Amino acid sequence: MMRLARRERVDFPVPQQDQTEERLRPLMIRSLEGDPGAHRQLLGVLGRYLRGYFARRIGSGTGEVEDLVQETLLAVHLKRESYDRSLPFTPWAYALARYKLIDHLRRRNRSHQVPLEDAGALFAAEDTEEGALRTDLDRLLQRLPDRQRSLIEDVKLKGLSVEEAAQKRGVTAVSARVMLHRSLKWLNQALRDEND
Amino acid sequence: MRTTDLIELLARDVQATPPGIVNRRLLAALVAGGLVTLAIVALGLRCQPLLAAAHQPWFWMKAAYSGLLALAGAVIVRRLSVPGTGVGAAPLAAGVVILAMLAIGTGQILSAAPAGRLALWLGHTWKVCSPLILLLAIPIYACLIAALRRLAPTRPVLTGAAAGLAAGALAATLYGLHCPEQAAAFVASWYTLGIAAATLLGAVAGARLLRW
Repeated sequence: MMRLARRERVDFPVPQQDQTEERLRPLMIRSLEGDPGAHRQLLGVLGRYLRGYFARRIGSGTGEVEDLVQETLLAVHLKRESYDRSLPFTPWAYALARYKLIDHLRRRNRSHQVPLEDAGALFAAEDTEEGALRTDLDRLLQRLPDRQRSLIEDVKLKGLSVEEAAQKRGVTAVSARVMLHRSLKWLNQALRDEND
Repeated sequence: MRTTDLIELLARDVQATPPGIVNRRLLAALVAGGLVTLAIVALGLRCQPLLAAAHQPWFWMKAAYSGLLALAGAVIVRRLSVPGTGVGAAPLAAGVVILAMLAIGTGQILSAAPAGRLALWLGHTWKVCSPLILLLAIPIYACLIAALRRLAPTRPVLTGAAAGLAAGALAATLYGLHCPEQAAAFVASWYTLGIAAATLLGAVAGARLLRW
């Protein structure tokens, strides 16, 4: 009798998702408050869930999954203002992921019937193994103007902070921030167009 | 670039975001677009004598009808610009408002003397009313789209339609400052037609403009 009750509890899917919500929502709120560590952690967890979700939907091994993960992470980053802090986080993230998936399938002229599920569909399983990429962001970066590209390289490869990179290039921190943000927006667009 | 590198890059681009930014952006768009439309109405079309009009029930009837539709449109736009939430009850409310107006207009026509019905329905300006409302909606729609493109509407067609409804209905409300028509039947027909056209074109344009 007791064993049955215990097993029922384990199989019940809702607490799992509640846990995800409880884990991710504070991260999102701290990220919106400007905490880079929380932002990094949030995107890391999301990336692992997205990889699993997209692989289940379009199949792994085509190099499309990792592209889509990167595109969606960029969208989560650039669109995070649209998250309403008084609402749960997981449905917001699921809506973005599903939108990106539908958009991806539509651009490839495939059937884009993606069932509207509970947000739990996205948060079913994490996948830590990064897949192969079809579109290399580094190659896209080559098309950026020199100043923007070298800023990104300083920040990404040399691990400088934006302030340090700005100082090195002799620009103000504010204009370096604007430049970085603009580059990311451009990258988001380029990644979409590339996969058209 | 590996995904972990990308995340590292994105973490460098974090800036604090104040709460309530969605509401502020959409409100700013309605105000900015509304001011442009108001300027066109006041300077281009000229207002009717407003002090006299403000004492007439028909003036407020028109304002209430289009104002309520504008409010419903704005609420739907707000809901659709936040991913993961449904449209809520506002479309239903808009439908009830339109049906009520159509009922009032039909009642007015039926209770009028048959000889005067056509004049009641067409007024003096039926030819220009709907097209003018549609034109006046453009500045408001453009501002709303600009705000929405920075947010994340996951249903572009529906969001475009809602933005068209809000823009068309707000434009109709401001057009009421100029428009001297007094009949409920006129408003139920030509105002509704103008707002419906804005909603439809808003949906078509939204499908293209609101993808991200």
